[in-house]
Amino acid sequence: MHVICGLILCWGLLGAVGAWAAGFDVVKASTQLEKGVYRLNAQIEYRLSAPALDALQNGVPLTIELEMEVLKHRPWLWDEKVYSLNQRYRLEYHTLSRQYLVNNLNSGERRGFPTRSGALQFMGEVSNFPLLDQGLLTPGEQYDGGLRVRLDIEALPAPLRLMAYFSDDWRLVSEWYIWPL
Amino acid sequence: MAALIHRFARGQSLLLTMLLLGLLLVILVLMGRATTNSTKFSQMYSWLLLVCTIGLGALAILILYNLVELVRRYRRQVPGTRLTLRLSGIFAVLAIVPVALVYGFSLHFLQRGIDSWFDVQVDRGLEDALELSRTALDLRMREVLKQTLKISDSIAESDSDQISRRLDDLLDLSDASELTLFGWGGQIIATAAVDPSLVLPPPPPPDTVVLQVRQGHNYVGLEPIHDAGFHIRVVVEVPASGGNEERLLQALFPVTDRLSLLADAVQAAFDSYRELIFLRAPLKASFTLTLSLALLLAVLAAFWAAFYTARRMVQPLRELAEGTEAVAAGQFGRQLTRASSDELGFLVESFNQMTRNLAQARDEAQRSQEQVEGQRAYLETVLARLSSGVVTIDQAGRLQTCNAAASQILGVDLQAFIGIESRQIAVAHPVLEDLIEVIGPQLTLTGDWRQEIAWFSGNGRRILMCRGSSLPDAVGLRGGHVIVFDDITHLMQAERNAAWAEVARRLAHEIKNPLTPIQLAAERIRHKYLKQLDEEQGKILDRGTHTIIQQVQAMKDMVDAFNEYARPPRLQLAPLELNEFVTEVLYLYRDYPAGVEIKLDLTREPLQINADKGRLRQLLHNLVKNAIEAIRDGHGSTLWIKTRREHVTGADCAELIVRDDGPGFPSNILASAFEPYVTTKPKGTGLGLAIVKKIVEEHGGWIQLEAPVEGGARIVIRLPFHHEDVASSAAPAVPAVLANTE
Repeated sequence: MHVICGLILCWGLLGAVGAWAAGFDVVKASTQLEKGVYRLNAQIEYRLSAPALDALQNGVPLTIELEMEVLKHRPWLWDEKVYSLNQRYRLEYHTLSRQYLVNNLNSGERRGFPTRSGALQFMGEVSNFPLLDQGLLTPGEQYDGGLRVRLDIEALPAPLRLMAYFSDDWRLVSEWYIWPL
Repeated sequence: MAALIHRFARGQSLLLTMLLLGLLLVILVLMGRATTNSTKFSQMYSWLLLVCTIGLGALAILILYNLVELVRRYRRQVPGTRLTLRLSGIFAVLAIVPVALVYGFSLHFLQRGIDSWFDVQVDRGLEDALELSRTALDLRMREVLKQTLKISDSIAESDSDQISRRLDDLLDLSDASELTLFGWGGQIIATAAVDPSLVLPPPPPPDTVVLQVRQGHNYVGLEPIHDAGFHIRVVVEVPASGGNEERLLQALFPVTDRLSLLADAVQAAFDSYRELIFLRAPLKASFTLTLSLALLLAVLAAFWAAFYTARRMVQPLRELAEGTEAVAAGQFGRQLTRASSDELGFLVESFNQMTRNLAQARDEAQRSQEQVEGQRAYLETVLARLSSGVVTIDQAGRLQTCNAAASQILGVDLQAFIGIESRQIAVAHPVLEDLIEVIGPQLTLTGDWRQEIAWFSGNGRRILMCRGSSLPDAVGLRGGHVIVFDDITHLMQAERNAAWAEVARRLAHEIKNPLTPIQLAAERIRHKYLKQLDEEQGKILDRGTHTIIQQVQAMKDMVDAFNEYARPPRLQLAPLELNEFVTEVLYLYRDYPAGVEIKLDLTREPLQINADKGRLRQLLHNLVKNAIEAIRDGHGSTLWIKTRREHVTGADCAELIVRDDGPGFPSNILASAFEPYVTTKPKGTGLGLAIVKKIVEEHGGWIQLEAPVEGGARIVIRLPFHHEDVASSAAPAVPAVLANTE
């Protein structure tokens, strides 16, 4: 009995450690139709690995990419990708001002955060992001939205890239989060 | 496509391989550049790496293929592979050793070189510079805070109507690029900006800032501007006074250009330095990787070049080896392509010249051999067609060559004795012994000789005309003698016959003519004087005239008989069955005076011959009469007559054998028994057997007189069979053809 309890405890602990393990997660994501435009709201959790944090701290910018997709349901066949959109952020540490800069590569907008968590939180909160015009979809069909977040290895400095391809610490990518549109 | 790959794999497509090597080289250069600076190549780094790996893999497979192929050929012992393998090995080692040396040193220097980039003093210096920048910025921030606080104080008591104008004035007086007055709710009360074209409302301070200010702490911060650069944001509380609520004043100050530039430079240098330090290990790994790839490329290229060069070098040698083998096998038609103009090319050219010469020499030899063969065949044909017998004998007395006529004349197949000594031939064929003995002494002489030789062959006495000549001991001739001989027996016979015919004609003319007047005269004398004479005298006359008349008649008969013998034949040939004919003729002798018994032994086989009936009857009569007379003279009693079919020299013939047990022929006349006036009988004319022989020869037959061991005499006659096509033709042009071929 004690053994079983111990095992369960151990499993629980491991689970907790696992939850803290490095990786990206889309906690939730949803869309709402607002004046004919689907707007995306999502919450993303970024847990950077130690080497990634080390690199960030040492002036290596990290590029994080939000991949958004709209899938059409098809009977007997795999879902068809009707639309996809990428949103890229560059996270870097500004040594002079001792703050983290988040650069929205799509819009060119920059924001500074005194803390890393602030920057990550900023990137993790997606609200009212205009995803898709309703006119682009065929009425009557069923659509799903998909969201995934990943660290863009190709944007890393060349020497780091080869290692990043073969290292779990650098393969920071979330599962696809699918929700009905 | 497959052929191209094969060609490529065999290393024959030089251009393609060079292209691959060039491509890999370019990729390596790009990779090297991508590692060091983050320019456009940096984007392609992963792809470059992938393409490079694939290219090197292809190259490695290519070389492996070549190696396996080479080893396989080596095992099969294909000419030239041993040398190819050895040369490839030498070239490869020669190329690898320096490359490996350079690689080792490069690696060492690379590690040391990258480490030497980093220095504690530089590190400290950069950090200090950064600190200095920060301090400078702090000073600036403190200064702008003071300014903002002053502005805040001066607008605290301003009227809300005039606040906008007041802010504009204060903006002009200060360094600020923008001044904004917010209410506690975040609403904009008034704003003033240096650049009025800015349509966008000034960004409100974040909540954290507002909270900080509410707690009484002024906010000064360096914040990034929308797209580039920084500005200093200052947020202070504007104290409430004169009916105004507490408000927030936000002032945005630009960082001065000079300071900004310097700070940015310091920041950039520091960042890149930090990044370099951080990336030291990956950078080393990347450089090592690139270097290793370069090494691999160099090694593989060296391998490939080794294979290619070795094959190129060995190719003409291999062709030469194959060509030599072909020449050894007797094929001279092979010409090698001259690939280069060096010594090998010269060798190839010499080889080609040699094979051409050899081929020419062989053709000439063949031609001359053909000529010799032709001449030889011609001579052989001529010799074979010669009716004279020709034999050559070498110095040791061995038979060298002979023609068909020689075998025919001697009645011995000489072809079987070529290369055999004449003495041994004599042992095998005793008939030749006499001949060899006679000729023997001539062979010891040099020069030509000529001799007529009477030779007793199995078929009777033959006369051979031999001519001999010693051969020179020259090229192709090994000395010895050539002997040419002709059987002139029949020639002499014919001469003799012709002489007798002339005698007969003369006799007829010179003797027979006076005989008739002699006879008539004798009869007249008898007729006239017999009556006048007395009885005794008459008897004498009667006896005398009677004797004259009788003797004249006898002389006439004799001359007639001789004439008969000598006259040319006038045959009336007709098909005839020999057995029937013999039976018919001998029927006359069935009641012949006692003392002689005639025994017929006739074959049952019909023997059809072509003959003149009258002449043939005469022949039989002569033979039988001759035999009976012989029997009567001696003490014999029996006459055997036998017929049979005989196969002689390739043709069938009818054989008639007449044998008696009389005294036989003495050996001294055996050879000439058929000649006229050769007789053993006191009463004989001596023409009986001569006429027999003549008749036989007229019929194209062959006759032989033998003395059997049991005594008596035996005469063998062979007559050719009747053939339909022969029946119509006249008598054979040459008599005794058969006898000749015997």
